[in-house]
Amino acid sequence: MKTKHSSRSSESPERAIIRKAQAGDERAFARLVKDYESVVYSFAYKVCHDKDKAEEAWQDTFVNVFRKLKQFDGKSKFTTWLYSIVVNNCLMKHRRSKLEQATVRIDAPEGFHEDPVLDAGGHVVQTIPSWKDTPMDSLMNKELRTLLDAAIEKLPLDYRVVFILRDVEGQSAEAVSKMLKLSVPAVKSRLRRARVFLREQLNEYMTS
Amino acid sequence: MKLRKIDCLEVTKHVCGDLDEHIDSAECRAIKKHLESCPNCTAYLDSLKKTVLIYQRIPNPRFPAKSRKKLFATLKIKPK
Repeated sequence: MKTKHSSRSSESPERAIIRKAQAGDERAFARLVKDYESVVYSFAYKVCHDKDKAEEAWQDTFVNVFRKLKQFDGKSKFTTWLYSIVVNNCLMKHRRSKLEQATVRIDAPEGFHEDPVLDAGGHVVQTIPSWKDTPMDSLMNKELRTLLDAAIEKLPLDYRVVFILRDVEGQSAEAVSKMLKLSVPAVKSRLRRARVFLREQLNEYMTS
Repeated sequence: MKLRKIDCLEVTKHVCGDLDEHIDSAECRAIKKHLESCPNCTAYLDSLKKTVLIYQRIPNPRFPAKSRKKLFATLKIKPK
């Protein structure tokens, strides 16, 4: 049988800090803040897309963490629990400000033909233009950065959150479905629409 | 096992839904087969992958350290 002592001796340093913070140890809580402050801030910034709103979401998140830390049961990763709090804060603020509740329309990509164009030899002719093959790091210039910011800002928040959690932060579809209280197929559908929408926004730049 | 024939519209729906996921499914094998002979779907899939990659490469913003002080003051905690 596992004793309380042996289960503690095998706990990770992160879990030990969380346990101490849950017991009211302020130094442990401060350590937790320092360990996760950048993760929470950069995620909040990617979702809110505004420095002031990101900072506000950051403050609200850690105030909630302080108040609700005892509710964290360790069944999920601590970062997943943090992401849920940030997402709820951002979505709540967004709904309060009564901004759009839009859906994303998907059109066929430029150059798409339901019946593909064939050459004399019966091979499919490429009508969808290829994207630049330049190494990605050298592509990140000011012009592209402005375009990326504008594109993701146009993406409705419900879709943006899914795209950032899944594709940028690398959370699983199952984790995202729990965070957003959506079914896994709904998460996949939003992700698909978000990717297509963003691709369309970048298409002209990446093919010119 | 004979692969079902699949058209571009189906491919674009699946590739953008899952990109490289479910690589062993019958659907994915049919998609791979289609991609071998369709430059359009190959270009489309490549552009979707690059879209994701570009957003992953955006550098993270710097955390404003003054926020931590403000938080500790709000919560009335003195961690030192």
